[in-house]
Amino acid sequence: MELNYKLTAEDGFVQRLTDKAFIPFDVGNVDYQEYLDWLEEGNTPQPADS
Amino acid sequence: MSTIKVNKIENTSTTDGGISIDNAGHVQIDGQQLPTAGALSHRNLVMNGAMQVAQRTTSATGVTTTGYKSVDRFKANISAMGTYTISQSTDAPDGFSNSLKYEVTTADASPAASDQVAAEYRVEAQDLQHLNYGSSSAKSLTLSFWVKSDVTGTYSNEFMQADNSSKHYSFSYTINTADTWEHKTVTVEGDTSGVINNDFGEGLLIKWWLGAGSNFTSGTYSTGSWAARTAANAVSSSSPNFASTVGNEWYITGVQLEVGSVATPFEHRSFGEELARCYRYFQKSYSYGTAVGANTTDGRYYFLIGTTSDAANKGGSVYLGTNMRVAPTTNFYNDAGTQGVIQIPASTVTPLLLKTGVIAIYVGNTTSREVAGAWTADAEF
Repeated sequence: MELNYKLTAEDGFVQRLTDKAFIPFDVGNVDYQEYLDWLEEGNTPQPADS
Repeated sequence: MSTIKVNKIENTSTTDGGISIDNAGHVQIDGQQLPTAGALSHRNLVMNGAMQVAQRTTSATGVTTTGYKSVDRFKANISAMGTYTISQSTDAPDGFSNSLKYEVTTADASPAASDQVAAEYRVEAQDLQHLNYGSSSAKSLTLSFWVKSDVTGTYSNEFMQADNSSKHYSFSYTINTADTWEHKTVTVEGDTSGVINNDFGEGLLIKWWLGAGSNFTSGTYSTGSWAARTAANAVSSSSPNFASTVGNEWYITGVQLEVGSVATPFEHRSFGEELARCYRYFQKSYSYGTAVGANTTDGRYYFLIGTTSDAANKGGSVYLGTNMRVAPTTNFYNDAGTQGVIQIPASTVTPLLLKTGVIAIYVGNTTSREVAGAWTADAEF
């Protein structure tokens, strides 16, 4: 399943759209590490709901 | 001081039991091996080695991807190589009640180059500092486990150090007889040059390979020493392909990793103690026996119990049962098991805090008096 992410209304988290899980910006969190890798590949998360 | 040189001490009327001392000076009492290093208790560096704890579910079907599927702390690593049911089985050797089971439900007899299937366990780095890795006093480790499969042959496995570019130590074990529990041990020499960082990251990874494509088998497979890792050298080309046939089964339990050069009897810990240890890596609001995402009210956690139905911004928090390894990835579920929404109000949530010890959310302006839904918190590797 292709990864995709969405920013949240509060800073410090991103939502993984494949399972709707919230990922905190903690360098030790493996899901956050995966998100950083995804960004490095040139991807951009969806904006937060206004 | 005098020294008594003796290989064995027995009762005068029997040859059973007694105290045996082998050529290396290691001692057995009544056939039970004593540790050669480290403490007598809390020897096992592996949590949930008897596969007692399965918080997520006792059986995950249709598994095709990497993740923690059934028993806690043991991760399936699957990349485009078959489909599996991964479960907490009650098939176990004497002295154990459970095992981790992989069963092939869609075979892959001809894996592509990058395909793989494996079981993995990770030890947190700060729990390995007493090994003195990276120094001249680095200590040996011994891994022991029970394993059973209907696919016989010699399987490839690895220890890996995340802090040292996945420096690895390969080892093999052989399933000699199909469908029969066999006890395996391997001793790993201490690594005098690879420092394991004193932090909450991954210290050691133990990987039991079950199948691999040529990216992992095309090099030179060598066991018995720490070495820089090249993926091509990870698996022997003669290692069995467990994924080759539908219905193939592989079981493992009694996993123990301990300091020293011999395997001692498995250190059984209570269910409650193992569950408490697992909370550092995964917690949920559901009752222990309820699978995550089940269609049930069982997981419903009341973040807020209010007294007014006035429209207002509302939210709440969870004080986690134990501090987790890192700030956890967190998900929410309604009673139907739908991810990303809670039950009351029937809405999405926004996180305010996701920390090692607390989760806090808000749901915005609502007339609901309560804020309630199921949640999971995952701080695994």
